[in-house]
Amino acid sequence: MKAKTRQINSQQHSLTVLIIDDDMNRAESFQAALADSPYIVKHLVHTSVSLLREVEKTEPDIILIDIESPNRDTIESLSTISAYNPKPVVMFSEKDDPKLMEASIKAGVSAYVSADTQPEKTRFILDVAVARFNEYQKLKDDLVNAKRQLESRKWVDQAKALLIEKQNMTEQQAYSAIRKMAMDNGQKMEDVAKNLISMMQLIGGNE
Amino acid sequence: MNQPFSAIKLPLEKTELDIGFVALTDSAPLVVAQHLGIFERWGLEVNLKIQPSWATIRDRLQGQVLDAAQLLAPMPLAAQLGLNGNQNELINALNLSFNGNAVTLSLELYDQVKAINGGEDPSLPLDATWIKQIVDYRKDCHEPKLKLACVYPFSCHYYQLRDWLIKAGIRADEDVEFLFIPPTEMTKALANNQINGFCAGNPWNTKAARENIGVTVLTSNDVWSQTPEKILSVTRQWHAQHPNSYLAMVAALQQACNWLKSTSNRFEAAVMLKEYIDEPIEVLAPSLIGDCLTGIGHYNRHLPDLLSFNQEPFNIPDVEQGQFLLGKFMASGQYAGSPENAKQAIKEVYRTDIYQDVIGILNQLGEE
Repeated sequence: MKAKTRQINSQQHSLTVLIIDDDMNRAESFQAALADSPYIVKHLVHTSVSLLREVEKTEPDIILIDIESPNRDTIESLSTISAYNPKPVVMFSEKDDPKLMEASIKAGVSAYVSADTQPEKTRFILDVAVARFNEYQKLKDDLVNAKRQLESRKWVDQAKALLIEKQNMTEQQAYSAIRKMAMDNGQKMEDVAKNLISMMQLIGGNE
Repeated sequence: MNQPFSAIKLPLEKTELDIGFVALTDSAPLVVAQHLGIFERWGLEVNLKIQPSWATIRDRLQGQVLDAAQLLAPMPLAAQLGLNGNQNELINALNLSFNGNAVTLSLELYDQVKAINGGEDPSLPLDATWIKQIVDYRKDCHEPKLKLACVYPFSCHYYQLRDWLIKAGIRADEDVEFLFIPPTEMTKALANNQINGFCAGNPWNTKAARENIGVTVLTSNDVWSQTPEKILSVTRQWHAQHPNSYLAMVAALQQACNWLKSTSNRFEAAVMLKEYIDEPIEVLAPSLIGDCLTGIGHYNRHLPDLLSFNQEPFNIPDVEQGQFLLGKFMASGQYAGSPENAKQAIKEVYRTDIYQDVIGILNQLGEE
């Protein structure tokens, strides 16, 4: 089973950037910087509750937010709590030294951009953020997949052990039996194994 | 000022410190240490820097834009486990405050509870069974789930709210919707019925009660008892480079916490906080002096430990605190890793050993 990977590719199609900033001028300069690029810019000045609704509706590919915005926590909660697909978040800051801030997020999903960065650079920074996000996402997905495979194998092994013990099967027979059941019922081996285990525990009083 | 706040001259590696904090009532120890000149006595020149969000205060601490920061108690462990942003080594140097959170319901939701109770006000603290009845009713009528807001996913607020609901048989992850919005927006969202209730720290509950836009039905003490709420954190690296500056900073803050034992001193702290929080004294003071305003026309609750800054004898960070929080991470689906890994992380974060040095210094001074 492969975890659903959502990779973003700026080469193939246009990307929606959601800018969250109360400063109209600054938002406009970002918009100008990204004109004539694959990025489609939407600007938002909102409270957090409507912000959540807007993010749900727009499904942006990248979020660009002022580091001074209290809405940062709301944006972060989206990837921590809900099943919502994580997005690269790029923060801009007028005060912080971008090098220092960059150090704090080394391999992370976020990037920092200084607000006085030349407009031409903005696009480049977004490109880099997207690339790095994809890399990070892939690493994360690989980890999830590896973990899932390991877990699934554990269930199958446990079911096999029970079949060997209770039904006097050989290991090969036990494995074949589980695989056949999975194929016959159109189920995953892992699910067949789980059912078998709970059934045998029910009948056999096994703990 | 009738207390001397004696100090010891330590060979400080750094004297000018930027400490980040979020402007809430429970940041009193930082504000007190600054205003009473306690930091100064320890040879520290401190700049208190108000931060706009927990995410930003964390990033600036990790990026060394800040030397130290007030954080939500679960944040260092979440960072150490790599749950919150990137894996980062933050240590818990001192428990700054205990309890202080409360649940406030919108007037509309409160009135629904009252209606079920035959028009009578329910007794407080509110039993979440009332909420369960409303949750079930809404489900039967295909109405949207109740929307409950907190400020941050790795916060005691969130776990306290969940524990309260779960105890009444509400399935926290399925029956209600949690939203995370900045505390400054809580009362606005409640007034507009964009949320049905929230769990946050003060002054936001007091403000909602005072302005008649909600009823505060539960405090964190009703769910958990004497739990660290905010802590002072530095990065492991910062501590290694500035061990004496660290000791001086923690000792100064412990003295500020001790000063805050007295109720009348806490009222003074409310006056000092006014400089940082743009709310009137009648909104800032009540929670500091143990008064939980519930709502216009309701009996208020006097709870001496509503918000406290002390744990006997010192505000030592404790590994048990980490284990307790780990349980909450797991129960809310935030951590599913190995227990051994978590145990190690807790050991790294809760540095009781370092704090022993602070105790040694304070004992030398004869501090209580």
